[in-house]
Amino acid sequence: MDRTILDIQALKVGFSLGRERIWVLRGVSLPLLEGESLAVVGESGSGKSVLVKACMGLLEGNGWIESGKIWYNRKNLALLRREREWLPYRGAVMAMVMQDPMTSLNPVRTAGAQLMETLRLHQGLKGSAARDAAAALLADVGMADPAACLKRYPHELSGGMRQRVVIAIALACRPRILFCDEPTTALDVTVQAQILELLERMKAKYRLSLVYITHDLGVVARCAQRVAVMYAGQIVEMGLVREIFYDARHPYTWALLASLPQRGVRGQPLYSLAGAPPVMTDKVRGDPFAPRNPYALAIDYEREPPAFSISPTHWARTWLMDPRAPKVPSPALRQVRRLG
Amino acid sequence: MIRYVIKRLFQAAATLWAIVTLVFFLMRFLPIEGYFPEYDRMDETQIQAALTSMGLNDPIWMQLGRFYGALVRGDLGESLIYRPHVPVAQIIAEKAPVSIAMGLSAMALSLAAGIPLGIAMARGGWVGRPAGWFVIFLTAVPSAVYHLFLQLYGTAALGLPMLFSADHPASWILPVISMSLGGMAFYALWLKRYMADEAGRDYVRLARAKGLPPGAVTRRHVLRCAVIPLAQYLPTAVLTTLAGSVYVESLYSVPGMGGLLVEVIRRQDPVMVQALVLIYSALGVVGLLLGDLFMAALDPRVRLAGPARQEKGGSHDSEG
Repeated sequence: MDRTILDIQALKVGFSLGRERIWVLRGVSLPLLEGESLAVVGESGSGKSVLVKACMGLLEGNGWIESGKIWYNRKNLALLRREREWLPYRGAVMAMVMQDPMTSLNPVRTAGAQLMETLRLHQGLKGSAARDAAAALLADVGMADPAACLKRYPHELSGGMRQRVVIAIALACRPRILFCDEPTTALDVTVQAQILELLERMKAKYRLSLVYITHDLGVVARCAQRVAVMYAGQIVEMGLVREIFYDARHPYTWALLASLPQRGVRGQPLYSLAGAPPVMTDKVRGDPFAPRNPYALAIDYEREPPAFSISPTHWARTWLMDPRAPKVPSPALRQVRRLG
Repeated sequence: MIRYVIKRLFQAAATLWAIVTLVFFLMRFLPIEGYFPEYDRMDETQIQAALTSMGLNDPIWMQLGRFYGALVRGDLGESLIYRPHVPVAQIIAEKAPVSIAMGLSAMALSLAAGIPLGIAMARGGWVGRPAGWFVIFLTAVPSAVYHLFLQLYGTAALGLPMLFSADHPASWILPVISMSLGGMAFYALWLKRYMADEAGRDYVRLARAKGLPPGAVTRRHVLRCAVIPLAQYLPTAVLTTLAGSVYVESLYSVPGMGGLLVEVIRRQDPVMVQALVLIYSALGVVGLLLGDLFMAALDPRVRLAGPARQEKGGSHDSEG
């Protein structure tokens, strides 16, 4: 169980915007264990989607991997440059479910065509064999009438149905790792729960390792075993779900947890963290979270904090963990509302 | 789909009817001098007699009815001044085939070259960049300039004939190339633009994420969507070949339709003008209609336009 399947080490990704260089990932290290569900949480702009794109070689034209390694099967994927070199890894090793099922299917080709194209590519199925396999997959992901669905165009399917088709396409690749980039954000709440349940079921059936990219802590509590909290292109705290929800150490994680609606608390405005995440140019010094951190220390503006270990599975990147730092009582965190 | 076709057919018929009627009334606004080449030398009784014999003194609704009737029979009238007493249909039948043949060859060439140019431009690199320069040159330089240079250097360097003659195949080459260049640049530029639009879409990223090789992503996903807006122009382009190309036809002395409209307006032949305006606008309307139907065949989303959409949309849950 504890074998690492994908090992991201000190990954640094830059984007050029006009004449400026922006560091979207600043040395992210993240081992993905075989068969686990790992959640990467953080607000918009924290770099969590870029992490997935970098792992699959799908960075936009103005983005590049500056340094760091992505180990898969003793091969460093960070060194792959050409589209052709990536092909053996895309689909066969890693597949992806994207946020918006409205736009992630080709609008002018039927669901069946897009699914069978994948089956042909990865399982070598053609003609009626591909059609049967496609229908079986659609049934597997919970489509009521698989045969009819094959002939439907994306606009003839509802949001939840489209996301099921996208999941079927991902499974048709027979991947080992499935990246789910905010898989439920664009869906109705009732459909969200169904899709999460489906993903968990498929994970067990196809022995997948799952990475959830999300800003929804409900999804995390429901699905993940381990959590990585991202801020400004860096993982600031990492631990088991229990450790993050009940024993968080990083002020940013506290802020995330405090902004959740709580059962039994009425009439109070929801907590929200003031300010916006910084744009990480070369000029930022110290801990980029410091300006928004009510507990910031003088050293936060000078040097970036290292990772302090709390348990073998739990670490946090904050100077508050330094033995010389003043003791800050972590805000009393009530039990997190569970989704579903 | 059938509802959509019927709806578009009705719209096209209504537009055609409006054009026919408008042209009829516009022509009635012409001063009556226009009907007589020797107006100055005619006296009032002669004029009135001539007008009556042409039916122009009848009540307006009778004239309109006669006009509709003649059009339904395919009778466009007789030329008054350009070639007196020759039926307009006959004049067009003599000139149109050359223009159509030449226009269709030019269109085939501009598609055959424009689409690969557009794909190359969208991909960039060492093929795409020179392709882009070529297309920008064609777009930026006035066409009269490169038409002239092509004739000058084409005849000098390649020994191709300067003037057109229908039974001499080599004489087709230069005018066809000349006529294709504008369309070529148009198709290349817009295809590149549509492809760039599509290439950034989520479904393209998903297609790449599932491991589809770049060529298949371009062919099956990007191109498949990017040609849809272009396909809409094709029928109109086919039909307007009938109108001929004024400049190229005069450059190579092609006996086609190009310049005919200008010529009959200059020489004030009202019947010819009326017939040509009708034909050209009808071609435009039919072209747009075919373009829409063509697009509906390519893009499943279009088929739902109109009342059919609401019925369909209602039967599905949470449609976005």
